[in-house]
Amino acid sequence: MKLLPLILKHLRHNPVRTASTALAVAASIFLFCALETIIAAIDWGLKSASANRLVMRHSVSLQFPLPLAYKARIAGVPGVRRVATSNWFFGVYQDIKNFFPNFAVDAEDYLAIYPEYELPEAQRSELLRTLKGCAVGRDTAERFGWKAGDVFSMESRIPTYRKAEPFEFVICGIYEVDLEKNPSTTGSLMLFHHKYLYEGTGQRVQAGTYIIEIADPEKAPAIAQALDAMFENSDAPTKTETEAAFRAGFVSMGGNLALLLHTIGLAVTFTILLVTANTMSMAVRERRTEIGILKTLGFSDRRVLLLVLGEALLIGLAGGAIGIALGWVGIPLLPRVPFLGDALRGFPRLYPTPQLAAYGFGTALLVALAAGFAPAFLSYRARITQLLRSL
Amino acid sequence: MATVEVRDVRKVYLRDSQELVVLDGISIVVAEGDFVALMGPSGSGETTLLNLIAGIDRPTAGTVTVAGTELSRLGEGDLARWRSRNVGFIFQFYNLIPVLTALEQVELPLLLTSLSRRERRERAATALKLVGLSDRLGHYPRQLSGGQEQRVAIARAIVTDPAVLLADEPTGDLDARSAAETLELLGTLHREFRKTIVMVTHDPRAAEKARVQRHLEKGVLVG
Repeated sequence: MKLLPLILKHLRHNPVRTASTALAVAASIFLFCALETIIAAIDWGLKSASANRLVMRHSVSLQFPLPLAYKARIAGVPGVRRVATSNWFFGVYQDIKNFFPNFAVDAEDYLAIYPEYELPEAQRSELLRTLKGCAVGRDTAERFGWKAGDVFSMESRIPTYRKAEPFEFVICGIYEVDLEKNPSTTGSLMLFHHKYLYEGTGQRVQAGTYIIEIADPEKAPAIAQALDAMFENSDAPTKTETEAAFRAGFVSMGGNLALLLHTIGLAVTFTILLVTANTMSMAVRERRTEIGILKTLGFSDRRVLLLVLGEALLIGLAGGAIGIALGWVGIPLLPRVPFLGDALRGFPRLYPTPQLAAYGFGTALLVALAAGFAPAFLSYRARITQLLRSL
Repeated sequence: MATVEVRDVRKVYLRDSQELVVLDGISIVVAEGDFVALMGPSGSGETTLLNLIAGIDRPTAGTVTVAGTELSRLGEGDLARWRSRNVGFIFQFYNLIPVLTALEQVELPLLLTSLSRRERRERAATALKLVGLSDRLGHYPRQLSGGQEQRVAIARAIVTDPAVLLADEPTGDLDARSAAETLELLGTLHREFRKTIVMVTHDPRAAEKARVQRHLEKGVLVG
């Protein structure tokens, strides 16, 4: 502790270098925390998928639709409790930067299958009564200042879902989500009637996917197999899987996203390690004579090593603390960042956990210590006569 | 009683696989409270000899005994500890640490002791008072003249009350007036405080302040 004032004096001596090094560490820790938070959010989405929901799609690709006639046949399979059509509409409100996820669904069945989207009974009834009606999540409603009764227009980016005029929607309900009970649920969806899409496009639209509620989650494999077998020899063969498997497959369409994000995080951390190591080496190289003086005065090699490591550690401490603070405040705001926010808005739980903060902080300290080790060790090894000769 | 005893010391450096003999069979004794000037042309090995006495370099052969301790018997850690208690070193270029005030410079060697912060500060202030810098405690090296910097360095060297003061051309970088003040200070430390001093110098006027003058030439004591 006696050496702390000496360490602080050195750090204050070149405030620009100290601050820029600490900020480099802070930036890397912020990025590290952001990437890990996104990975955790994806993971949460997968883990918290309901076990009693199956998703059926075309066996070739999500891009191929399924006949609407399948719905009744699916509903007739033993063990199936409810079926809802769900089509990714890809509608854009005014500008792509305003994007929020939107689906055309069989509203009554869909809301029954997804009780986590909590809609007051009056609003639900109003939605079911209104062909142009839609329900939006609280997040999206607050984003655009919408309230029940408001009207807005939206056009799809999918050619088959387009018509001469944009689709007009009436907000019948604003659904809430209980993040305590259902932490992976997003509050940014917009749901409207599949029938409206069907009629609006001249009855050309089929089903994108079927969401199937089953009575017994343990029978999910058998039911999925039975459903797929039923349509095996049709023009539109199906692939039915649990909601968790469907989401995992959906995420992995872009490659192994988690691996990619982990790799980016690792690359950034390693780069910062090199930057910090270089700065620390420069700082120590400039002070070779001074280290020689300290050793002449009787400071042991070990004490000199601790001095240099102490400087690195303090930079790591400061950088880590700033990075964590930035992450704590900044990561929840990422969905509001133009363009970037569009990709992140659908993720629930987009905030760093205390465990991640501790992990990030530990990483900052480790990076700083690793960066300081080489110059510290060189100082430890250097002989006084060599150090003083560099005067 | 001898404070410094150098016996048959030989120091050889390897330069590109060639042996360079810097000291060749040096023996010298410095009695307690003595003031010895080591003189000689540049490169005759006087700084190397000073480094050996300070325990910051080791002889190739022979023994160096200072304040009753034979230095070759000490490991690096023990040698550092020994240095902190027994040696005060004064450099030609002062070698103050730019980020520390005069008081903090002098306090530096005391960080290695068990003294409290208050005690350290008191002792450092006393040492600075002794060298006539009690009004410069909070000044950084850049705010001091060369002579004042050297006096801070002397205060740093004496603050632990070491057995021996080693000065490597302490006036080599000073103007005539500052050099005279520095030598006067060393003389006072020798006369009034009975400090044992070994000083390397190329300046005959500086050497005159010492009680004994020894001459080195090509690594050998010639007088």
